[in-house]
Amino acid sequence: MGVTSLLLLPSLLMIFVFLGLPLVVIFMQSLQDNVLLQFTPPGIENYKYLLTRPYYFDVLVRTLRLSLLTTFFAIPLGYLAAMAMPVLKGRLANMAIMALTFPILAGPLVVILGWMALLPDSGPLFGPLVRAGLIRPPRILGSETAIVISQIQFVLPFAILTLYTALRQIPHALYEAAASNGAGGLQSFLHVTLPLSLPGVLSTTIIVFSLAASSFIAPHYLGGASDLTLTTLITNFVLGTFNSPLAATSSILLLVMMLAAMFMFVKLFGRFIRP
Amino acid sequence: MKGMKVTLSWIYLALIYLFILGPMFFVLAASFNTETSFPAAFEGVTLRWYARIWDHQEFLSSAWTSTLVALVSSAVAVLAAFLAAYAISRGNKRENAWLSATLAAPLLVPQVVMSLGMLQLASLAGMGTGFWWLVAVHAVHNIPFALRLTLTGFARFDFALEDAATSLGAGRWTAWREVTIPVLQSSIVAGFTFCFIMSFVNLPISLFLADTATTTLPVVMYSYIESRIDPMLAAVSAILFVLACAITLVLDNVFRIRLVD
Repeated sequence: MGVTSLLLLPSLLMIFVFLGLPLVVIFMQSLQDNVLLQFTPPGIENYKYLLTRPYYFDVLVRTLRLSLLTTFFAIPLGYLAAMAMPVLKGRLANMAIMALTFPILAGPLVVILGWMALLPDSGPLFGPLVRAGLIRPPRILGSETAIVISQIQFVLPFAILTLYTALRQIPHALYEAAASNGAGGLQSFLHVTLPLSLPGVLSTTIIVFSLAASSFIAPHYLGGASDLTLTTLITNFVLGTFNSPLAATSSILLLVMMLAAMFMFVKLFGRFIRP
Repeated sequence: MKGMKVTLSWIYLALIYLFILGPMFFVLAASFNTETSFPAAFEGVTLRWYARIWDHQEFLSSAWTSTLVALVSSAVAVLAAFLAAYAISRGNKRENAWLSATLAAPLLVPQVVMSLGMLQLASLAGMGTGFWWLVAVHAVHNIPFALRLTLTGFARFDFALEDAATSLGAGRWTAWREVTIPVLQSSIVAGFTFCFIMSFVNLPISLFLADTATTTLPVVMYSYIESRIDPMLAAVSAILFVLACAITLVLDNVFRIRLVD
């Protein structure tokens, strides 16, 4: 037993050294002075600065808004897809599950390139309608809408896979019991499927929200120049203005926002999950 | 009523899959288009853009760098995850919240933040980043994926097999080599393949940590897109997409190895 537990060491050590330690360094960096803000370190001036400037505060609010919107749409869309999945049988079902990994494995750049080609006003989606005078140019590309659309598409495979697993774990006998007690489709859904899948919905919500809040390629390419999110702001501080302390401060703000959201989700769902 | 529900389910799934896969198929189609701009109306079929990739040395050399980073980091991640999965499954521990949270942490911390931390660690230590820094962060990021796939394997593994080997006089290592590892082979291959591809296509980690000698393919694509988008880039993307599909399908159909369960 004791020896077997030692086998956990390589993973834990790697996580502590290459993830834990860097996070400590980021926190320390966030308390340092920099070219923009002169003070005697350590101090919280960087936090004050980012949280009191409307421009930067908007970045935080925008990140939260886009991630919540993505989660809000992706969970019901994914839940319905997971519920519909059982109509596919045999090889087709197998293929459908595998196809969900294609966008994950092809990589976000490939997917984003697709959206960059599809979404322009002259592109294949809107181009014909605009030229025919049926709609006005929708100007989706370079807007928050484009970011949310592509983020929903990016997180949906993860949502469907985890929700499908959660729904499959509900014992079939419970549906038969519900039916033999005279429950219709809707009642069976409300009293069996929904309550028993809630823990799965909670973990999916957390995964989807973190994926959306961490997404960097979608806001970078599909958003307008002013649609910065915390991840693209961090990249700007690192690669653009070389301001390491402010990049660190934005990172801590992002982590705090994600933790707060997770805490909120657990509280929100916890009320409805029966132990 | 039942028939209608089935029909609606089919239609819904078709729409969802169109939404999920459509953009990539569009890129695939565009990579064969004779038009020189991207996106453009379809004019005719050509393989010119694929040939054009060979004129861009930076794409080829960076693909090789990506391969090396992915190979080493996936090997490390799978080895660490295999050992951890063994300890978790063999120890038959009750769910330990701290342990699972720690092992899942690389999934939840944004990659941009992870790599920023390593970048600042490097500058604190007065070192430049490069190959091994990339490998370290790619490996840590991949541990949760590798762990999930190996844990699925161990869930089906009967430890009595291993005990039988040791009671017949096999040492611990021999039992592993002759029994445990061969039985879990498919989970290990699945874990390695998944990690390899995830590392190969990763942008956010490599963007901060790659130095001039270790520029990976996604970083080259990133800088290329900053200046222009053309069908050549669509061809590179199409290759990535087709490779991802092909690897998944071959593993499943030929070797019965699944990347998802």
